[in-house]
Amino acid sequence: MRILIVEDESTLREQLEKHLERAGYAVDSAADGEEGLYFGREHQYDAAIVDLGLPKIDGIEVIGRLRAEERGFPIIVLTARGHWQDKVQGLEAGADDYLAKPFQMEELLARLNALIRRSAGFASPVLNQGELRLDTAKKELRVGGGAVELTAYEYKVLEYLMLNPDRVVSKAELTDHLYDQDFDRDSNVIEVFVGRLRKKIHPVDLIRTVRGQGYRFLTEPAA
Amino acid sequence: MNTSVQKRLLGTTTVVLVLFLALIGWVFDRSYRNSVIAGAEEQLRLVIYSLMGAVVEVDARLTVSQGLSEPRLAQPESGLYAKIASDLGENLWLSGSADTSAVEFLEEQLQPGAFVFREIRGQVPRFQLSYMVIWEDAEPEQVVFSAVTDQLPFRRAINQFRRSLGLGLGGATLVFIIAQLLALRWGLWPLRQMAQEVSELEAGRREALSQAYPRELQGLAENLDRFVAHEQRSRTRYRNALDDLAHSLKTPLAVVRNSLLEDRPDKLLLTEQLERMENSVMHQLSRASAQGPVVVARAVDIAQLTRRLVRALQTAYVERGADVELKCAEAATARGDEGDFMEILGNLLENAFKYCDSKVRISVKTVDDESGGVEVVVEDDGPGIPPVLREEVLRRGRRLDEIEDGQGIGLAVVADLIKLYGGDLEIGSSALGGASIAVKLR
Repeated sequence: MRILIVEDESTLREQLEKHLERAGYAVDSAADGEEGLYFGREHQYDAAIVDLGLPKIDGIEVIGRLRAEERGFPIIVLTARGHWQDKVQGLEAGADDYLAKPFQMEELLARLNALIRRSAGFASPVLNQGELRLDTAKKELRVGGGAVELTAYEYKVLEYLMLNPDRVVSKAELTDHLYDQDFDRDSNVIEVFVGRLRKKIHPVDLIRTVRGQGYRFLTEPAA
Repeated sequence: MNTSVQKRLLGTTTVVLVLFLALIGWVFDRSYRNSVIAGAEEQLRLVIYSLMGAVVEVDARLTVSQGLSEPRLAQPESGLYAKIASDLGENLWLSGSADTSAVEFLEEQLQPGAFVFREIRGQVPRFQLSYMVIWEDAEPEQVVFSAVTDQLPFRRAINQFRRSLGLGLGGATLVFIIAQLLALRWGLWPLRQMAQEVSELEAGRREALSQAYPRELQGLAENLDRFVAHEQRSRTRYRNALDDLAHSLKTPLAVVRNSLLEDRPDKLLLTEQLERMENSVMHQLSRASAQGPVVVARAVDIAQLTRRLVRALQTAYVERGADVELKCAEAATARGDEGDFMEILGNLLENAFKYCDSKVRISVKTVDDESGGVEVVVEDDGPGIPPVLREEVLRRGRRLDEIEDGQGIGLAVVADLIKLYGGDLEIGSSALGGASIAVKLR
C-alpha cells in the first residue's frame, strides 16, 4: 500500500514516514501543497494524509483539485486548529476522514487501514478468502487456522491482491503500490515475492499468473 | 421609556400648542366680552342723555315730552326700558316699553353726576345704567335717570364670536399638528433609515451603512461603520492569532507524542503529562477562540448548518452506517458567530455519530415563545451519558481538562459556548435508548 503524506512540519512529517513505513506502507511525502498536488497527480496512491495548513497551496485546495481530476484514493485531513469549520470544509472538498492534532499514531494507522479497506469495498478489517484469513489490523495471516509468518513485502503483495480480487493486477501496478518513488524498481522482485507467497499459503491456490499481464487473485478456489 | 422620539416630540408640542391656543382664546374672549358690555353701557348712556334732553317741567314736576328719539322706549317689551325717579324712590316717569312687563330697576346709592353701571342677574339678565342729577327748579331736586336693556342681543353676539373663535383656533390646532407630524416624519426619516440599515447589516444583506445621512447623523453613521469594521477586524485578528498559536502548539505536541512511541522507562509518565498538556491546550484554545455574542450579530441559518455537518459526518463515519433521521424546520436561525454554532453542533453531532449503535435522530425547530430562537435536539441509541458525567459537564466552575471522558470533553465545550450565548443545554435520555441532548439558542 502506498501512502502520500503532505505535511509542512518536517519533524512530524519524518515521524509519520517512519511509523507508516514501519506499519508496512510505502510512503511518499511532500512538504507543501504544490508538491503534494504534483505527487497526487503523478502516482497511484492507496491513501493520502493531508495537513490543512500548508504553504503555497492550502490543503483544502489540494484535495479539491485532486478530486476534480478524479483521483479517488481516500484522504485523511489533519487539522491543527481543530475547528469544525476546517473539518467540514475538508470533508466537503472531498476528504474521507479528519484527525485533529495532536493525534495518536495508533489512531491514525487504524483510520488509514479502515479507509483503504473501505475504498476497496471491505467492511471488516479481516479479509477472508477460502482458507485464507488476513487480519489487516494485526497484520497476521492464517491459513486453515494456522498462523503463517510473512515478510513485510510478502504481506504487502498479498494484502494488495486480496483487496483487489478478480481482476488482473500488473507487476507495474504492484510495484507502484508497494514502493515509494525513491525505490529502485525491479519487477523481477515481484515474481520472487509471489513465488514465495504461493509456497507459504499452499495448499491454497488463489494467485493466478496471467501471462504477459500480471496476477489475478481468485475469490473462488481454482477448479 | 420606550416611547418613540416622534411620540415624545409630538406629545410635547401638542400640549404646549393647546395650552397656548387656550390662553389666546381666553384673552380674545375676555376682551371681546368686555368691549360688548362697554358698548351696552355706551348705548344706555345715550338713552339717558336723550331722556334728559326730552325732560320738561310741568308744575315743578319732571316728565318726558312726547317724541323721544329712541322709538324702542315706546314699544312694549322692546328690551330697552327707562325710568325717572326721585332720590327717595318715587317714580316720576316710566317708559312705555316697561308698561306691560315687570321690569325691575335696582335702587342705587348714587352720587349726583356719577353714572353707575350694573348687571341684573334676574330671570331675564339685563344691564342697568343709572345717573343722578340735581335739577334746579324741580321738586324734588335730586332726580335719578335709569335705563335698562336686555342682555340677550349682547350675549348672542358674544356667543357668536366664541363659536367663530373656537372654530378658528381648533382648525389652526389641527393644521399645526398635521404639519408637525409631517415635519417630524421628514425630520426623523434618517433615523428610521439608519435603524433599517443596521438591521440589514445584522441580517448580512449589507456590509456598511450608506453615506447619504444629514450632517447631524453623518458622524454617527461613520462611527458606527468604523466600529463594526473595527470589531470585525479585531475578531479576525484575534482568531488568526489563536489559530497560529494552536498550530504552533499542537504540531510540536503531536511530534512529542509520536516520539514517545519508542520504548523508554518513563513512557507512561510522559504520556500522561502530555495528555494533560494536550487537553489544556485544546480546551483553553477552544474556549478562547469562542466569539460569543457579537455587537452586530448576524442571523445564522442553523438548519442549513446542521445539514452541512450531518453530510460531512456521514462521510467521516460511513463505517458506522448510522441510520440518520433529520428533521429541519426551514428558517430556523439564531444570532451569533457561525464558527461558534458550528463548534456547538459539530461536537454534539460527532458524539452522536461516534457513540450511536445504529440510529441518530436530529431535530431543528424554531422556538415559538417570546424569546424566539432555535432548539436543536440530538439523540442516539448508544450507551447514553451517565448521570455523574452530566452533572460534571453542567457544573459551574469545573475545568475542562479535568474531564477525561471523550464524550464529556465535547459536551463540556458545548456547555461553555451555550453559557456564553445565554442558551440552554439539557442532557437526558432518548427514547431511542441513548443520549438526548437539547440545545436552545436565541
